[in-house]
Amino acid sequence: MTDLDIERLVAFCRSLREHGLSVTPAEVVTAAAALQIIDTKDREEVFLSLRNILTTSVDDFPVFENLFATYWSQRSSRSVANETLQTRRTAPARATGGLAFFLEHWPAEIRSKAQPVNVPGASDTEARAEKDFAAFSDEELEEISRIARRMARRLAKSRSRRWRPVARGRRVNLRRSLRLSLKTGGELIELSYRERRPKRTKLFVICDVSGSMDIYSRLLLQFIYGLQNSFSKVESFVFATSLARITGELKGKTYQRALDRLSVNVRGWSGGTRIGASIASFNQQWLRRIDRRTVVIVLSDGWDTGEPEQLAAALSQLQQRAGRVIWLNPLLGGTGYQPLTRGMKAALPYINVFAPVHDLNSFRALEPHLEL
Amino acid sequence: MREEVRQIQRTLEEQTYIADAAIATALYLSMTLGKPLLIEGPAGVGKTEIAKALSSALGTKLIRLQCYEGLDATTALYEWNYPKQLLHLKLEESSPTPEAEKEATIFSEAFLLKRPLLQAITEHENSPVLLIDEIDRSDEEFEAFLLEVLSDFQVTIPEIGTIKATHRPHVVLTSNRSRDLSDALRRRCLYHWIDYPSFEKELEIVRAKVPGIGDMLSQRLTQIMQATRTMSLSKIPGVAETLDWANALVALKATELNEEIIAETIGCFLKDENDIASFKGTRINAD
Repeated sequence: MTDLDIERLVAFCRSLREHGLSVTPAEVVTAAAALQIIDTKDREEVFLSLRNILTTSVDDFPVFENLFATYWSQRSSRSVANETLQTRRTAPARATGGLAFFLEHWPAEIRSKAQPVNVPGASDTEARAEKDFAAFSDEELEEISRIARRMARRLAKSRSRRWRPVARGRRVNLRRSLRLSLKTGGELIELSYRERRPKRTKLFVICDVSGSMDIYSRLLLQFIYGLQNSFSKVESFVFATSLARITGELKGKTYQRALDRLSVNVRGWSGGTRIGASIASFNQQWLRRIDRRTVVIVLSDGWDTGEPEQLAAALSQLQQRAGRVIWLNPLLGGTGYQPLTRGMKAALPYINVFAPVHDLNSFRALEPHLEL
Repeated sequence: MREEVRQIQRTLEEQTYIADAAIATALYLSMTLGKPLLIEGPAGVGKTEIAKALSSALGTKLIRLQCYEGLDATTALYEWNYPKQLLHLKLEESSPTPEAEKEATIFSEAFLLKRPLLQAITEHENSPVLLIDEIDRSDEEFEAFLLEVLSDFQVTIPEIGTIKATHRPHVVLTSNRSRDLSDALRRRCLYHWIDYPSFEKELEIVRAKVPGIGDMLSQRLTQIMQATRTMSLSKIPGVAETLDWANALVALKATELNEEIIAETIGCFLKDENDIASFKGTRINAD
């Protein structure tokens, strides 16, 4: 391997990093070591080897392939150096029309229309709790996060009926202690304890972010963000016309950062709705992970442009596997709402819990449904 | 291509594992650089099969750790054989052996139940292949624990001391991507992705694995499988299903595929009632 190869490798790795791959110095070292033991004249072998080392997921492959093509062509080192400069100058393109855009232009008119609702002093929490989402302030958004976190913590702590032995605990595990005593000739010296085994409830949240849900999406996402970051067994998804997994995007310290990541990585916000197709594609990929200890939450208003049969089929398949299917519908909070849309009607037989989410109280009321 | 890589490819093919350049390169790097190989891909494309083929190609032992939710260190690493210890103490009750010596005896290797990870580390003859299957099913805590073992291949057992691997095992991890693995684990491993095979590759696999199958039949069957994968199904059949089906057809002495035979054997590759119904409604079946 020549110095030129090393230079090229370093520039290539830097460029990969700039394009969002996590390439640490340790990997650069490994890659350099690999170049010494492979046939560097065989371009395919270099490609395959570097891909083995520098990517960590199949999602990295397209970026890798593109950059590999620019850096490891048969061109001279000078042109490579020029390219480096160029890639450094062009910042990753920002998506327009993503969630960030939508949030900036968050329906101002709806907000102002709803403002006339009497907003008294901070003490009047009761009135606030009943106020509709459309007129929520930042503090109230924060309250939603708090509710989500509390819920998640309780879920993480909930205990099953079964016992497990532990080294330190409050209840003595008599059976095991006696057995341990045999080691010391029947003298009880070492005590064993037992505690309730933690329940392994998993949560899958699928949120509708189509146009008709616009005014709710922001709050629901905040709720999901809260859940995601305080309970490890949550997977979250959004859909409008197609399904996207957002578990990774939502993880992080601040909600704002999570939204930024979402706006870059997830497309198709505020579009039409294809609930049936989205649930079906969810099933295809994720049904294997659903079991009796899983609660699936669907957040949607039930306006589906697809075939209701498809929705019914997909939901019934889901319900057969899951411990519980909860459908939360923001419209249900309005007085006089009847679930009459074709989609909602088709879905109803396959839902275990059908509840509203339109204000803080409705979020609080959710808690008992989450425990299996 | 480097001679060693080609060599690996040939050796795997002798084990009737059809390896492409990508997998051969990945294995070559993994063995030469001494890094674990993480293989991802959909179910039934032969991820586990790679480790099996590798171990028989190298003529070493395959040690398999099947991951599942709730898998913990005791099941993966080691456990004391309590009943045997008790029995031993009972037998020795009246013997004049001092207590300390008794204790040393029951906490010796003879009373240790070696679970896969410890087995892999204490393999004395040559480097075994350690297959950590479906790592994405285990909990995050287990993943962290595994990371520790994989980084220096040594284990400390309080009663015995530290055991260090004399022969570093070749580690292969597989994942179905049902959960995100931690960055730390990903970074420690080389990464390889296996997708459903192309028509040519799948045909080659069928012919290699099911020798009794005719040319016509294998071609037709592979065509149908390839077409089936383009449908929207709840369970897309993998290569494993293709082989099951091929074997079933050979056992039934079928020479051609018609609607009747497909209907009889459809359970080999479609495992869901709705999938079967939608398959029967398509043209793939009728042609």
